[in-house]
Amino acid sequence: MSSTQNQDTVTSHQARRADVVVIGAGLAGLTAARELVAAGRSVTVLEARARVGGRLLNHRLGDGQVTEIGGQFVGPTQDHILALAKEVGVATYRAAVPGENVYVRNGRARRFSGHLLPDPLALPEMGIALARIGQAAAKVDPAAPWRAPNARELDGMTYETWLRKAGITGAAVDLVNVFLNSAYGGEARDASALFSLWYVSTFGDETHPGTMERGTGTTGGAQDSRFVGGSQLVAQRLAEELDGRVQLNAPVRRVSQDSTGVTVVSDAGDWRAGRVIVAVPPLVASRIVWDPLLPAQQDQLFQRLPFGTLMKCVAVYDRPFWRAEGLSGMGLLRGGSPIREMFDNTPPDGGPGVLMGFLGGREWRKWAHRSAAERRGAVLRCFAQVVGERAFDTVDYVEQDWTAEQWTQGGPTAVAAPGVLTDFGQWMGRPHHRVHWAGAEFSPYWNGYMDGAVRSGQHTATELLHQI
Amino acid sequence: MNRFFVAETAVIDAPVERVWDVISRTDRYAEWVAGAIEVTDHHGLATVGRTYAERNRTLGPLKTDSIWTVQEIEPLKRRVDTGTGFAPLQDLTNTFEFRPVQSADGREATEMLYQVEYTIGLGPLGLLLDAIQQPAMRAGMRTSMANLNTLLRSEASRTAH
Repeated sequence: MSSTQNQDTVTSHQARRADVVVIGAGLAGLTAARELVAAGRSVTVLEARARVGGRLLNHRLGDGQVTEIGGQFVGPTQDHILALAKEVGVATYRAAVPGENVYVRNGRARRFSGHLLPDPLALPEMGIALARIGQAAAKVDPAAPWRAPNARELDGMTYETWLRKAGITGAAVDLVNVFLNSAYGGEARDASALFSLWYVSTFGDETHPGTMERGTGTTGGAQDSRFVGGSQLVAQRLAEELDGRVQLNAPVRRVSQDSTGVTVVSDAGDWRAGRVIVAVPPLVASRIVWDPLLPAQQDQLFQRLPFGTLMKCVAVYDRPFWRAEGLSGMGLLRGGSPIREMFDNTPPDGGPGVLMGFLGGREWRKWAHRSAAERRGAVLRCFAQVVGERAFDTVDYVEQDWTAEQWTQGGPTAVAAPGVLTDFGQWMGRPHHRVHWAGAEFSPYWNGYMDGAVRSGQHTATELLHQI
Repeated sequence: MNRFFVAETAVIDAPVERVWDVISRTDRYAEWVAGAIEVTDHHGLATVGRTYAERNRTLGPLKTDSIWTVQEIEPLKRRVDTGTGFAPLQDLTNTFEFRPVQSADGREATEMLYQVEYTIGLGPLGLLLDAIQQPAMRAGMRTSMANLNTLLRSEASRTAH
């Protein structure tokens, strides 16, 4: 410890000071900072990137228009992000576009309206699957999934094994995987059954138990609405409010604690604070040099919470031509399709036209290393199955591969394999002396979502204020 | 032993060089060959004497594992492979031939011949089996060439990098 103390003594003379240093200017970190500033604390937010927003990222389309290439949807019971956006002056609009959706199976496209898929063979099984998932998820406490009945048994198998044991086989497993492809950047075989049922249990709030229908739904569900100006605008407005307290290009390399405070060593200099909030993805947090070390169980937990593999693929057109043909641009594609779920991501005033598809999980693993031209071709062929061959006539094409983001390391959220929640889950948000944790992955509601990030930021700020 | 020849032709709306680039990639057959669910083993750019393997759909829900050997390569013109794993079809030979043509609006295009040659034993029963399977095989060959056309179009999109 003596060498560390010497180093801290040296750095503390040069370090800038704040009551609290927040590491990470995503929604959780910015929200926590806002709460702390409102409570009269001096705060510095250190952000590794040259921008704020974390997993929220706008792509400029020109003429002041944007579309999102990171998180974008919000919906009912996500009251924390909705209230925060309202406070910073960012409006929402309904994401759904009038028109028919398209269901593609084995290369055959069928239009459909509403929520009922045009697949009579898959529907009964999907109904049973939803009922069984709902019943099982209802028994899982969003705040303490490791206390669920049969928690150890559920955490001893993958979600796919559990689905098959519950009598749910081919079509419904595939449809669950269509959802998990974008939700996990993975599949049912990647995640623990307990984690997956807990994840469903978080699709709600204190008075509305989580349901699969709310998590997967468009209108009335988690994909109900979007933000005018793009979701990153919420983070940008928060950073503006923080008025110079956000330091960009400041990756944190080391966090040292002693009896009087915390020294945070970043590429933009050192800070000395009474408390620190770490609001970066768990795996990224585990890669900071910790002195003293994180408790081994917490470090193991963070290492076992990697993000999935996900890329957002965006094709831009001069206008949303599919709307005139009665199509919503929303498509579900089965049978080995690279894109399994796609949406109309056109800005709210109707142009230019934007189609967005998720390339996630197994499909990401298959296509990420292919040439950009081959991958783009495969994506556009998927879009063409849903909206026709004019999908090839793009004016722009953009990919955002979240695995290539050094400070996120995947997307969209952390997914726990069997054994993680029951053996290590209780270490999730436990403060490490003067260090507190925040982030979408630390929330008991809408875990991994924008609402979870805001909830967690608020919760951690409150927790910290009670201790200082 | 009954020997059969099945041939289909189509015009691919791309120069022969681009068509050749795609059909020469043994890892890409599942992207355009109808019935090829997955390429399970490959050697990249087709090389005479080397093999690649596929998981294929046959009739209805039935699937099979096939192994193909590259027999002849005449660049930009002809490619011949032999395959196993499609019983009761035996001695399977797959031939692609290409010829540069011009489309109606003067663009470079490619005429493609897709030919499959095979034997079926079993005497008269073999003839009956072929009468059942051959229409599906022909449809699959036409679909494959249409898929190839679409694949090339998708990769020639205006924003191609």
